[in-house]
Amino acid sequence: MNRQFCISTLSVLLLAAAFVPALRAQKVPVTEHFLPNGLKVLLLERHDAPDVAGGWVAKVGSANERPGITGIAHLFEHMMFKGTPTIGTKDFKKDMEIIAAQERVREQMREEEAKLRAAWRRGEIDDPQKPENRTPRLRELGKEFQQLVEEQRKILVKNEFDRIYTAGGGSQMNAYTSYDVTAYFITVPANKLELFMWMESERILRPIFREFYAERDVVFEERRMRTDSTPTGKFAEAFESLFWESHPYSWPIIGWPSDISAITREQADDFYATYYAPQNLTLILVGDFDTKRTLALVEKYFGRIPKGKKPAPDVVTLEVAQNAEKRMNAEAETNPQVDILWHTVAFGHADSYSLSVLAQLLSTRTGRLYKNLVLGPQVSTETWAWQGSRKWAGQFNIGGECRDGRKPEEVEQAIYAELDKLKNEDVPAAELQKVKNNFAAGEYRRLANNHAILQQLMRAEGAGDWREVNDGGPRLQAVTAADVRRVANKYFTKENRAVAIFTRKAGAVTGDPDFAGLSDQQKPIARKVIAALKTDTNLAALKTRAQQLEEQLVKAETKTQPFLKLLRKKTQERIAELEKK
Amino acid sequence: MMKPLFAGTLLFLLAAIAPAADAIPDRPEKLEFPVLKYEPPRAVDHRVVLKSGPVAYVVPDRELPLVNLVIYVRTGQYNEPTGKEGLASLTGSLLARGGIKSKSAEELEERLAFLAAGLNASGGDTQATVSLNLLSKDLDEGLALLREALTAPRLQEDKLALFKQQSLQAMKQRNDDSADIEQRERRYLAYGENFWVNRHPTQASIESITRADIETFHRRWFHPKNFVVAASGDFDRAAMVAKLEKLFDSWPFQGEPARPVPSDKQFASPGIYFVDKDVNQGRVSLLLPGIRRDDPDYYAVEVMNDILGGGGFTSRIMNRVRSDEGLAYSAGTGFPGGVYYPLSFVAVFQSKSGTVAYATSLVVEEMQKIAVTPVTAEELETTKKSFIETFPGSFATKAQVAGALAQEEFTGRHAKTPEHFKSYRAKIAAVTAADVQRVAKKFLTPEKVVILVVGQKEAILKGHPNHPVKIESLAPRVVDVPLRDPLTMKAQPR
Repeated sequence: MNRQFCISTLSVLLLAAAFVPALRAQKVPVTEHFLPNGLKVLLLERHDAPDVAGGWVAKVGSANERPGITGIAHLFEHMMFKGTPTIGTKDFKKDMEIIAAQERVREQMREEEAKLRAAWRRGEIDDPQKPENRTPRLRELGKEFQQLVEEQRKILVKNEFDRIYTAGGGSQMNAYTSYDVTAYFITVPANKLELFMWMESERILRPIFREFYAERDVVFEERRMRTDSTPTGKFAEAFESLFWESHPYSWPIIGWPSDISAITREQADDFYATYYAPQNLTLILVGDFDTKRTLALVEKYFGRIPKGKKPAPDVVTLEVAQNAEKRMNAEAETNPQVDILWHTVAFGHADSYSLSVLAQLLSTRTGRLYKNLVLGPQVSTETWAWQGSRKWAGQFNIGGECRDGRKPEEVEQAIYAELDKLKNEDVPAAELQKVKNNFAAGEYRRLANNHAILQQLMRAEGAGDWREVNDGGPRLQAVTAADVRRVANKYFTKENRAVAIFTRKAGAVTGDPDFAGLSDQQKPIARKVIAALKTDTNLAALKTRAQQLEEQLVKAETKTQPFLKLLRKKTQERIAELEKK
Repeated sequence: MMKPLFAGTLLFLLAAIAPAADAIPDRPEKLEFPVLKYEPPRAVDHRVVLKSGPVAYVVPDRELPLVNLVIYVRTGQYNEPTGKEGLASLTGSLLARGGIKSKSAEELEERLAFLAAGLNASGGDTQATVSLNLLSKDLDEGLALLREALTAPRLQEDKLALFKQQSLQAMKQRNDDSADIEQRERRYLAYGENFWVNRHPTQASIESITRADIETFHRRWFHPKNFVVAASGDFDRAAMVAKLEKLFDSWPFQGEPARPVPSDKQFASPGIYFVDKDVNQGRVSLLLPGIRRDDPDYYAVEVMNDILGGGGFTSRIMNRVRSDEGLAYSAGTGFPGGVYYPLSFVAVFQSKSGTVAYATSLVVEEMQKIAVTPVTAEELETTKKSFIETFPGSFATKAQVAGALAQEEFTGRHAKTPEHFKSYRAKIAAVTAADVQRVAKKFLTPEKVVILVVGQKEAILKGHPNHPVKIESLAPRVVDVPLRDPLTMKAQPR
């Protein structure tokens, strides 16, 4: 218990009561092992439920990519479900022949695609990826490729990898790719542990990248779903990109659209050889098994994977120090809000714990942001704050949605005011203790089930070291008020931040019945005109235009009336606004 | 520390795992696995009828020093008076966040936060829940706070104003995300404009809700006779039962008995329903009338749905639409049996505008195929094994055991079919290929299909140069669905 605080007798009693769990905080008794090929193995026996949560991480994410192949780590994650020589096809030999033939056609298609990009640079076509813009040769090759796909389909056993696990009682099978890591996981009944060993070691040892090109299309749809067609997805992507200057975190995990459609099988093969060698992987099992027996199985199945020729290269690019505040103004289909990022520290850095405590002081319903932005002066309806300690670098994020009638800049200023308090005054002991009590209780809550523990181990191992699962708690408990104040002053400077201001896109305003009546062609025009109106200060010209619109309306066809009415309304609103000033 | 609760299972595996020296086979089917014996939890082992009214399921779990308590309340949105939509949800928010007799909202929040305890309440569609999750050392204090929240909530006016404001502001985002629009319109089409699930909060209804409305709603429904309790965690069973008796004893007000959930829904006429939204990916839902979970065909329907589209990568629709053609990232079907009224069948996917029509035609084709041709023995086996072998996963934690048993009680299945968990796997195992085909024919009726599309209408109608299929050909008519005004939920004029 920390004795340096000067606190009241009552608080001392409360602290004493609340600190009991932290003192007997439970370590997760993981055992660590290494195979001769370099594979790291983490085992945790738990006999609560008759199942085993198993997974493995490849220490590779989008940060290991380079321009031209952005998105390959994630595409790779998809490809790892396509099977092995014996899983996924009825005729392996023929399958390999077809895949080789497909590559030959693709090689020629790539030449054509390079021509399309050249035509696009010259301004001859509007989009090199539009099917309508394909060259005749490319269309021909496309047909040829499609025939090979049809031929392959005859001998494919669709999604057999998944089917075998499904029939074996596997559940929660999935995978994810982050900036730092690619993780694969599943839960199997306790008696199917050897099935897990077989399936996972086989796909690491000899994956076959079937249906590679159709899978690129799937990833494109994933991109449309997550990024393009969500209200703020595109802007969040742009903001991250703006924030990171030199570091590879500046491109999105899913990849830039042009890269996704250009990644080749050969690049995928190279990627596999470099990053999926056993010395770059960690296997993790949590659940109802016997450690000794399980280790023998791991050696039998995973020990046969040959060690990689050389270690995976380190990410050497460091983020350059930011020397000016960055600001982004986005008009989106969302309630107005502000989002702020500061450069902070990577996973495991001593300051990451103080920053996590600081984030927690700002968060939750009894945190400072909610009290002073939502409940107090009511500038905001919702706020957030967190420290993101990634493997290679870190960021701190604070943001908030505006309460109706308030501006994002007001929320922004209120956030800075809270940060100033943290910079200038020590956090009271009871407030700090409240936050620590929640971290301490979290040490238990996170142990609810095998799958949850596996996820934590994968996340920590992917970010740098699984031991953080046990070491992080005490480090958080050791943070002092002085630490919080010091990091507040060190990181939350103007030069170190990027600010995104979100305002509601004109015309997307919900509840604007005029706008719903416009056609698809009229909407973008109306948006542009309305946007331009906002900065128009020529009152006389505006009045003339309002008059003209009035005249046009009389003569207009039914189809154009809602459009003109909207413009008239918005013009009149602007006139009224200017006259008020 | 962690205690082995299933020590028997472990010993069994030790004896049964083959020696590691054997050669690795070329196919996983050649592996031999020990038999895993599993018996699902039985209500009789945990059920307690409290003298104070509720039925409780009490499941001790000494592994971690935590207690989890959930009270399920027989009320919800279906009990909201017309014009007061949003009342159930606001009542939930205010019970936990509006202060209690002995503490203001702020004091209560601070105390709970200091204890790292969670006291939450929410008003859902057919049930409300009030829950407490905390360290076992704080149990008595937590229960005292919970009792006050349930019997003597302060319902602070300033908090009501805040939650109303937040609710109004959230409403403004109703048309921002195409996924939200799709979800909402799907329910209108599947259950009708006038069915209670489609009575959404509006600006007018939220503004009209007063503290008195909340007090009335609370006193009417939140009393022990309407409670079912799930308790799990670090306690002695007898001691917990005594604490629960105290928690619910001498309730200060008499409520009303729960009302049945209305089931007067109406399914839309067949057609393609378009919501025009400027996003580069169309969201598609194909709907058909569904079943209740006590339907005799329920198990056959679950198996059929899993093969068709419910089983993720192993399902036909995922194979066709995603893996073969790369037309979507997610594609699948759901055919849940409703508890109180039949829940609709739905097939969903998202695809770029140009390929929406083609992908929709593939889904329709698969729906027809499964009704015409029997599923393969392999498909049937895979699906049945999956249901059977993942079944223990529903009870992986003691909180899940208590929660699942309490839900059986709450929804009335315990009273009607107390052996449900015990017989579940045998009922799945009994489903035949003929059953699957029969229910596919009975329920996947192409002439009734309602297709909802949210996306760029013009581009979607245009289709794709490689695929000649037109979306208009898939249903008898095309209906334009105007966006609703987010504050009134009335259709906006076009």
